[in-house]
Amino acid sequence: MTRLVAEYLVAGQNGDGGWGAQQGRASSTEVTALATLALARLDTPATRRGATHGLRWLAARQHDDGGWPVSARVDDSSWATALAVLALEALGREPARAVRGARWLLRRLPRAPGAAVSLLHRFAPSTLAVRLNPHLKGWAWTADAASFVEPTCYALLALRRLRRHLPGAAAEERIDEAERMVYDRMCRDGGWNYGNSTVLGAELWPYADVTALALLALADHPQREANQQSLSALRGMLRHVDSGLSLAWATLCFSAYGEDPLPWRGRLTERYARTGFLGESRAVALALLALTGGAEVFRA
Amino acid sequence: MRLGRRAFLGAALAAGAAAAGHGCAEAPRWERRAVRQPARSRVAILPAGSYDGDLVETVLRGLRLFALPLAGKQIVLKPNFVEHDPNGVVNTHPALVAAAIEAFRRAGVRQVVVAEGPGHYRDTEHLLTATGLHAVLREHRTRYVDLNNDDARPLRLASHYTKLAHLYLPETLLEADLLVSMPKLKTHHWAGVTLSLKNMFGCLPGAIYGWPKNVLHWAGIHESIVDINSTLPVPRFAIVDGIVGMEGNGPIQGDARRCGALVFGDDPVAVDATAARLMTIDPRKIRHLAEAGRFLGNVAEERIDQLGEPIDRLRQDFRVLPRFHGLKSFA
Repeated sequence: MTRLVAEYLVAGQNGDGGWGAQQGRASSTEVTALATLALARLDTPATRRGATHGLRWLAARQHDDGGWPVSARVDDSSWATALAVLALEALGREPARAVRGARWLLRRLPRAPGAAVSLLHRFAPSTLAVRLNPHLKGWAWTADAASFVEPTCYALLALRRLRRHLPGAAAEERIDEAERMVYDRMCRDGGWNYGNSTVLGAELWPYADVTALALLALADHPQREANQQSLSALRGMLRHVDSGLSLAWATLCFSAYGEDPLPWRGRLTERYARTGFLGESRAVALALLALTGGAEVFRA
Repeated sequence: MRLGRRAFLGAALAAGAAAAGHGCAEAPRWERRAVRQPARSRVAILPAGSYDGDLVETVLRGLRLFALPLAGKQIVLKPNFVEHDPNGVVNTHPALVAAAIEAFRRAGVRQVVVAEGPGHYRDTEHLLTATGLHAVLREHRTRYVDLNNDDARPLRLASHYTKLAHLYLPETLLEADLLVSMPKLKTHHWAGVTLSLKNMFGCLPGAIYGWPKNVLHWAGIHESIVDINSTLPVPRFAIVDGIVGMEGNGPIQGDARRCGALVFGDDPVAVDATAARLMTIDPRKIRHLAEAGRFLGNVAEERIDQLGEPIDRLRQDFRVLPRFHGLKSFA
């Protein structure tokens, strides 16, 4: 399986050195960062070459402001910056670029709640359509939007690896607040979805992939009740969810929490044989990380 | 991207906006190139009692009523797949997608592609396999494009209800000869209804706009719906899955409501107006429909030629959230 997915990634690398969402698609920062991280875990001429070209693609796409766009076709620096930073830092290459990217992340703020929402949250929180603390800042997908779970988790994973290079108090405060934001968005019985636990009084359900990612991002607090509850929720979800993406994130997550990843790797392998993850390069890259002990990439 | 200031979090604000009935009126906010409103529109309501019947024939009958020039064309079917709820009716039924694939092929198209950019899920493999859509795609050897990750290019807006300067739109759609919106007949807890126009939210790549496409909520849901639909430079057709719809707290957590209808049309505004009437919702009070009815298509009943079944024969009294009770009054 490891060889197969590595070959798939090597074969799917674009001429410019990056990877797209599927083979033949324009290169994206997210997939290129993950595929580069994954290939760098193997030591063959083809994977070394692939990772080197991936790193070059990332280095060449960094904006002057320190951030990365989601793809070369989009102008604005984006949420994908966190993954580019993570890749550069974890591979120990281009440290100055990684630090510039991390500083961009620290400057990037989500949209602040308006006065009306602030007042409602303070004096009548039950009247808010969405049950959350709008003042807790994480990261948004785009400029001028609210914080959501997934971009916040990517930023947390990146910043924690870079924290020794960042202004101490500011970085620590931002990390701490973002962690609180993620906990605030947890679903009632554990786990996370895109970022709303309750809308108009109705409880929303968690997603396996986001839950595993959030648990990875909160892995500094393995004994917290919320983490344990969410680990249990994740196991429950995985009784019904069998996709490459969710299984790959889950394998990485369980490894980070000290569980034996072998059974999960087995399911991942079976699934790949059955569906090929529908050709999703991101899932393939994460699977390669999961199969090669890549949870350490996400550790501070 | 620079956005407007519309807040969406406060229930009171959202309710006020929804109940306002209109609010983006006054001077035209669209460019000449955005105008697509025909003098009259045609909408067909065809009965379909279940997903097990001969849906291919029903869809073919619907297509023939509009005499679309389909031979040799590239068609993109855009169903509505948001999340997987094994007990719910969130998504366009895969059986209808299968029927549409087959019907368009029989009508002589060159290629049918199914494309969607789910608003909440990033786990496309899970969504497709769990909902049964993947089995349909495999059986019918049909390509699926995840619009959330499709290559995209920026287009300048053709109307200006939001403060967005441009929209990134997927190449798959821009290369199509016909884009077929295939929504579920549903109520929507922010927009009142979600039909063929709102379904176009799923055309915008999540990689750029996020999951959910929160930036569009801040820009104004109704405003974004109008701007997306005015800017998409692709001929449109709509097939609404009203065999079983969703009432109450849609688009995710509402309840199933059987309606037994498919709604067809080449004016998506008129289709949505008719579909809303099928739910006993006044389309003139849905802000994006009211505005779209000024230049994109027809909302007024007297400007819509009704084909197939009359609305009254299949109309159902869809339950709505209290904040939308005003939409149920046709005064």
